[in-house]
Amino acid sequence: MAAWAGYLFLVIPSLIVIPISLNGTQELQFPPQALSLQLYAQFFTERAWWGAAVQSAWVGAITAALSLLIALPAAYALSRTDWRLKRVLEVGFMSPMLVPVIVLGLGMYIHLSALRMVDTTFGIVLAHVVLVLPYTFISLMAGLRQTDPALETVAMLMGASRLRIIVEVVLPQIYGPILVGTLFAFLISFDEVVVAYFLTGPATQTLPVKMYSAIKWEVSPVLAAVSTLLTLLSLATCLAISALQRRAERAARERPTP
Amino acid sequence: MIHALAPRTVVLLLVPVLVLLLAMFAYPLGLVLWTSLHDATGQWSFEAYARLSSSTLFYRVLLNTLEISGWSTLASLVLGYVIALHLARLPPARRTLYLVMVMLPFWTSILVKSFAFSIVLGEQGLVNRGLVAAFGEAARSELIFNRTGVVLGMTNFLLPFVVLPVLASLLAQNQSLYRVAQIMGAGPLRVFWSITLPLSLPGAMAGALMALTLSTGMYITPALLGGRKEMMMANLVDFYTRQTLDWAMASAIAILLLLMSAVLIALMLKARGQEGVTV
Repeated sequence: MAAWAGYLFLVIPSLIVIPISLNGTQELQFPPQALSLQLYAQFFTERAWWGAAVQSAWVGAITAALSLLIALPAAYALSRTDWRLKRVLEVGFMSPMLVPVIVLGLGMYIHLSALRMVDTTFGIVLAHVVLVLPYTFISLMAGLRQTDPALETVAMLMGASRLRIIVEVVLPQIYGPILVGTLFAFLISFDEVVVAYFLTGPATQTLPVKMYSAIKWEVSPVLAAVSTLLTLLSLATCLAISALQRRAERAARERPTP
Repeated sequence: MIHALAPRTVVLLLVPVLVLLLAMFAYPLGLVLWTSLHDATGQWSFEAYARLSSSTLFYRVLLNTLEISGWSTLASLVLGYVIALHLARLPPARRTLYLVMVMLPFWTSILVKSFAFSIVLGEQGLVNRGLVAAFGEAARSELIFNRTGVVLGMTNFLLPFVVLPVLASLLAQNQSLYRVAQIMGAGPLRVFWSITLPLSLPGAMAGALMALTLSTGMYITPALLGGRKEMMMANLVDFYTRQTLDWAMASAIAILLLLMSAVLIALMLKARGQEGVTV
């Protein structure tokens, strides 16, 4: 059926880099002429490449952690209040998703240029936190909606301080959504290219930016190895997230109904 | 609720996110607007917009953007609908498996996909090799660094965003409608035309609007898969920012792009609000 052509069309671009990266000759060939890992060896020995990968991992990790630290209090606050402004604020926190990335990239570039923060890790981290915030926020809000408010009420009646309640009652209930939000944030930041292209420089180049320049100016076969590693990272993250979500669904089903 | 937070605590907890969004979201957007309305000396000026309205380059890029978005949205709508139909008819367990195939491009980096397309669609790439094998040397086509390449790459990116709302719409349909239609003697084509298609229109509209919104702002796909003539608005913004250092023009184009997205998003929200009564 035509649907099968559709599935192939969807899947082939993401998967075809894998066999191409195993090619022994220094060319981009499909099917590969000789099986070899030499392209991966090249990736791990060329400083420009693995340095960029390390930078991306570093930026991604800080971005994920920071976005969690910022989104968690906000999500908790909004889920435990009756304000009429609640909906407005929720939509407001999603707004980075609604703006075209190039507009945000330009704005942040002009802004950080004036502050001389272009080509700094801190600058790109701040920008990425804004970009991933909606996703972390959605994950946390969904998780908080699954928490049992009665537990907090009981803890409060027993005299526990609010902080203690958050740490010992709420957080354990949402550690799944927290992980999902963090993984999502890391992957989005790791793969992000447009804003990074504007805000990074030679000292802070992330892997996607290096890849983009490489594809545009010097199509090197190493790109196939880089692409495969990125795809494996995406697959691993996607599988981890669905495993976590399935576990959360099972837990929700097994919870005793009041 | 008994466990509600005191208003002062709520405000305190919201401060970090509000400060971040103000400093790194609202302010940058405001800066773009400001830059588009001031000239190099800092004086208020409509010059950037005036220059845009008389710029043939801009009109060509605007037309490109609308055409490429339009074609990509149409292609992803047609193919996405077919895929969603197939998915809707699968038993739930198998459907989850197939959905992984649909979501795979969603999770993969756009650079990886564009790079893969540049190999598959190249002169010696898979597609051309297949065409030549089947139809001879004359069938070798230029599929990359032109509009075809961009539309193909963009459709691949947009498909998951179209399939999901259409699938949701199809799955929400009341199955008894189909049983009734069968009892009344309607053939499968008639059932599809009179029942399935009209009821899935809200999902299709949502998917199409989402695709349009995403495709108008795209940067990487036209940059890597298009030729010089396939510049889209986002690429033009980059051109003015980095090549000619004309931030006012770049900002003006960015603002126009923002307005286009805002209109599309407003339409999307309106369409979702009008999702009437499901029978």
